Amino acid sequence: MSFDAPTMDYAGLSPIIALTTGLVVLVLAAVFDRIKRFGPALALLAYAVTAGCLIWQWDADVDLVSGALRLDGLAVVLSLLAVVSAAVAVLLAIGDPSETQAGRSDWLALLTGSLLGMVILTQATSMLTFFVGLELLSIPLYALCGTNLRRRESLESGLKYLIVGSVGSATLLYGLAMIYGASGATGFQEIADGLQAGDGMLTDSLTLVGVGMVAVGLAFKISIAPFHQWTPDVYQGAPTPVTAFMAVATKAAGFAIFIRFFLVALGPLVDQWDVMLAALAALSIVVGNVGALAQTSLKRMLGYSGVAQAGYMLAGIVTATQAGVDALVFYLAAYVAMNVAAFAVVVIRERQSGFSDDISTLRGLGREKPLLAWPLTIAMLALAGLPPTAGFIGKLYLIQALVDDDWTWLAVMIAIGTMISLGYYLRVVAALWMSPAEGDEAVPADGTPSDAAAAAAGIDTASLPPQIAGAQADPFADPQADRRWYLLAPAIIAMAAALFFGIIPQPLVDFAQHAGDALSVWIS
Amino acid sequence: MTATWAWLVLLFPLLGSLTIGLTFKALPDRTAGLIGVAAIVAAFVCGVLALIGLQGEPSESRHVASSLWEYANVGGLKIDLGIYVDPLSIFMVLVVTGVSSLIHIYSYSYMKSDQGYHRFFSYLNFFVFSMLVLVLAGNFVMLIVGWALVGFASYALISYWYRRNTATKAGMKAFVINVIGDIGLYIAAILIFKNLGSVDYGTVFEKAPEVFSTNQWEIVAICLCLLVGAFAKSAQMPFHTWLADAMEGPTPVSSLIHAATMVTAGVYLIARCHTLFELAPTAADVAAFVGLATLLIAGTIALAVTDLKRIIAYSTMSQIGYMFVGVGIGAYSAGMFHLMTHAFFKALLFMAAGSIISAMANMQDIDKMKGFRKAMPFTAATLIIGALALSGFPGMSGWFSKDEIIDFAHFRRGMYDWMWVGMLIGALMTAIYSFRIIFRILPGPACEEAQYLIDKGHVIHGEPKNPATNEVEDTEVGYPGEEHHIAEQAGGMKFAMAILAFLSIVAGVLQIPGVDEVVTKFLEPTFENSVFAHMHPSTGEAWLGLTEGGLISIAGIAIAWLLYIKRPDLPGKFRQRFSAIHTLCVNKWYGDELVDFLVTNPVKAVGRFCNRVFERFAIDGATAGVAGLTRSAGAAVRDIQSGMLRGYALLMLFGILAIAVYFLIRSL
Repeated sequence: MSFDAPTMDYAGLSPIIALTTGLVVLVLAAVFDRIKRFGPALALLAYAVTAGCLIWQWDADVDLVSGALRLDGLAVVLSLLAVVSAAVAVLLAIGDPSETQAGRSDWLALLTGSLLGMVILTQATSMLTFFVGLELLSIPLYALCGTNLRRRESLESGLKYLIVGSVGSATLLYGLAMIYGASGATGFQEIADGLQAGDGMLTDSLTLVGVGMVAVGLAFKISIAPFHQWTPDVYQGAPTPVTAFMAVATKAAGFAIFIRFFLVALGPLVDQWDVMLAALAALSIVVGNVGALAQTSLKRMLGYSGVAQAGYMLAGIVTATQAGVDALVFYLAAYVAMNVAAFAVVVIRERQSGFSDDISTLRGLGREKPLLAWPLTIAMLALAGLPPTAGFIGKLYLIQALVDDDWTWLAVMIAIGTMISLGYYLRVVAALWMSPAEGDEAVPADGTPSDAAAAAAGIDTASLPPQIAGAQADPFADPQADRRWYLLAPAIIAMAAALFFGIIPQPLVDFAQHAGDALSVWIS
Repeated sequence: MTATWAWLVLLFPLLGSLTIGLTFKALPDRTAGLIGVAAIVAAFVCGVLALIGLQGEPSESRHVASSLWEYANVGGLKIDLGIYVDPLSIFMVLVVTGVSSLIHIYSYSYMKSDQGYHRFFSYLNFFVFSMLVLVLAGNFVMLIVGWALVGFASYALISYWYRRNTATKAGMKAFVINVIGDIGLYIAAILIFKNLGSVDYGTVFEKAPEVFSTNQWEIVAICLCLLVGAFAKSAQMPFHTWLADAMEGPTPVSSLIHAATMVTAGVYLIARCHTLFELAPTAADVAAFVGLATLLIAGTIALAVTDLKRIIAYSTMSQIGYMFVGVGIGAYSAGMFHLMTHAFFKALLFMAAGSIISAMANMQDIDKMKGFRKAMPFTAATLIIGALALSGFPGMSGWFSKDEIIDFAHFRRGMYDWMWVGMLIGALMTAIYSFRIIFRILPGPACEEAQYLIDKGHVIHGEPKNPATNEVEDTEVGYPGEEHHIAEQAGGMKFAMAILAFLSIVAGVLQIPGVDEVVTKFLEPTFENSVFAHMHPSTGEAWLGLTEGGLISIAGIAIAWLLYIKRPDLPGKFRQRFSAIHTLCVNKWYGDELVDFLVTNPVKAVGRFCNRVFERFAIDGATAGVAGLTRSAGAAVRDIQSGMLRGYALLMLFGILAIAVYFLIRSL
């Protein structure tokens, strides 16, 4: 038996090659103190080259490495989103305690490793690359969560993520094994063919339980309820640049593989899984939105809101139509912009004032620091889906795709979820613009505006635990953080994007449709 | 050209809001106020030019759809960033920008000593912009955009004095109730798109009669969802509780948003969608009956409460009830006409009330007010004009507009005759409560504050108190403080009130039965396809109705005179004799309690439950985990596991199990 090495399409592989090279350089740089401080620049360079390769391959539609990977519109678009998110994380991490303590270059190497996993995941068309990509994405992230060595919450969140993530991976692997058993193939297209060829395989319990397991495993990664419990804890505990990366990039990669696996490999089974996914989406919308109402920590709130947003996006897969995928990708891109704007402001605030991300610390920010308040305001309004922001168009797109495919009840769920979400997003906006600065003695203790807001939202503020106290004398505190361009630029650019694509959405629609077109062979 | 002017109508308030908002540190207060006023006046002028352009067209082509760009083309859904200019939208544009201009001029003086002058004008301009988006929208998505934005602006302006607890709470309440309405509108838009394949006004109204048969359940569902939005925005039962609390906002806000413009959006919505409502007569009847119930209940509450602004607020609900009956029974142009005259006299009443309240050092209780006729002759005169117009005194604008609606109900006979009777009773109550205000606060010996004004020539420097709770308020941030203006002394306020008073008197000449029908003729192109377009009472019937209305109004004023001037002991006796009814009315028919019981408490309970389940579970677990880590890594693992990971694992397991079971069942 002879073994022929697969032919290599180096142009198609160029994004992965560029990123791997960057990873190697960063690992090597960790050894040399002199180069070490150029780590962020090196990382950004590597990402820029990767992005360049992706754009170069914009129109690619090729199978790579004997069908293990596939570079097409979907992969290019979602890889680009992941690369942009990673670049933002690099900028936000400059001077962050986690990055400094972990050794700058090592931290960046971990980030790049995770990103590499994501890029592979967006291109995976075989169960092997699927799993390898997912683990490559996850394992560096576990470590990154714990990189703020002096903060217990950070270490704890890393540990927690590791344990929960392992359960997710195990479940997923189990499910993949079952599907392999049912179809006898590992390639996505072959799985679909195998399932259709096999006698009664489409409704066989082995296949279907396998589908359920895979869905659960992926739901863990993109925090779909009821597999979301780790999300708020880990979001809150992890260093904020890592949280930002996790919140956006992981969702981009996770949804990429979700789309590809369910619509290509499990496409023949669509009638079996669509109701399950719809139920999960609806549950996420409810759990995420209701859970967020009670939060006082901005990061936890964004965690719950992320659960709800994942529910909205999952609805795009439920339809199993090209319009649904387009809507999902559009929403994902908008989601990246909205969350980057929010997290960048959180990073700046944390850097300035120790480790508190309590919503009440935002009071009066609008008047003192409009440059920080505006990105957060726009991010909240966009997440809430208010016009004229990209979030509004995104929801509209999703609702349209759902109604068109007779999923009206799920569209109504999205509308209702959106309305509930106003309750907590507007609380942040109200704290920013309508409350006097913190520490103002004239405010009666029992009736500050945010209390009133909380009371109206049905929350008994007195029963909430005090915020976890931050370090008082923090060596990493940087009072000038709101003047650092590398922190402000992501916030302001993301804000501008969230607004721009809300007013002139067509470019982003085209971007999203490029991803959807890649699947035109498999879905209508 | 018409479309260009209409776009400019939108542009000016937006520019004004942004300019004021972005330059709040750079520009002096006065300039900000002037920019605000100028932006709205410019919008009004453009509105007039758009009107002239539109009237130049032949009547059958008197509608222009214009699109700036394709807002979104997603799948089958094409949404233009488009406006729809027709007589109805221009009518609304003129009412909104006209009244807004006057209220901006009024605010320029009224808010003079407020610390948040810039913020106020920026919000106010933003509100006008949002309202104009709402009325000019060319499709249902743009309508929702405007609908959501006015809700947001209203929330911001009610909570404008954010140091007042009651104000922030009222803002939240208004917002929550409005959001329920928004859901209705969302769902209506989704259903419209699903059934008709478009959200464009033109296409929807054209296709609806072909697709739906009369009272088909889909169209009834659509109309009922639209009504949920309309009721919530216009404070009709059972969504009415927010409007009285919204009086926490500054008086110009009550005048502009919660009397003249925003709260009438529901009426506009029904008139705009009359094609749909005529296909679903059941839904139209629902609108009319809810309007009738609201106008009666709000009328009784207005008779009982003693807070000056709240009396006027309940009167607003009641008058909007009339408009709902009007557009519900097919008297579209009468409903719109009443919307316009009401905007004039209600804005005027609020302005006069604001002036008196400033003189009372922010006290709003009419029991404490007396003798303002001498202290503030100008305000007293405008108050009387407003009350006469509101009670439909013969010759005043309210007489023509209200009685046109009442007549139409009688004209349609059948069950609508019951509405006719109900509305006549409502008219009697209107006259009584309007003149209750007048007779209680104008004549008689001057109260302390009024006397001070007569003696010293300026407003008494009382300690500012929250009218709702009587708590002393701080004057540092966002509260007007004692240097408040009254109409007697500020030119801007006087000017605005004089014009509104003039309009309240004469606006009726637009619609004199048998003489001219300016409003009906003007709106005709919009309502041309309506089955009610050419149905109206004869001139004789109309005059008969007007006579009835006039007599009822005079009777009401006479009763008020008897109760509050001639025999001031009578109201007390009534109160004792019918204490149960009085308690019911003073407590606003327990609307708040009902809403608390049905909505707020369950929502709070869910919130508390979630708080317990989500938060306790997680935070307690996290604290346990933190404690563990301080001991040792090994212990940490144990503690985390005992804290919440075990719980998480359990939930996950349940999730996996549920999905596995689901698929196992599917595979059987």
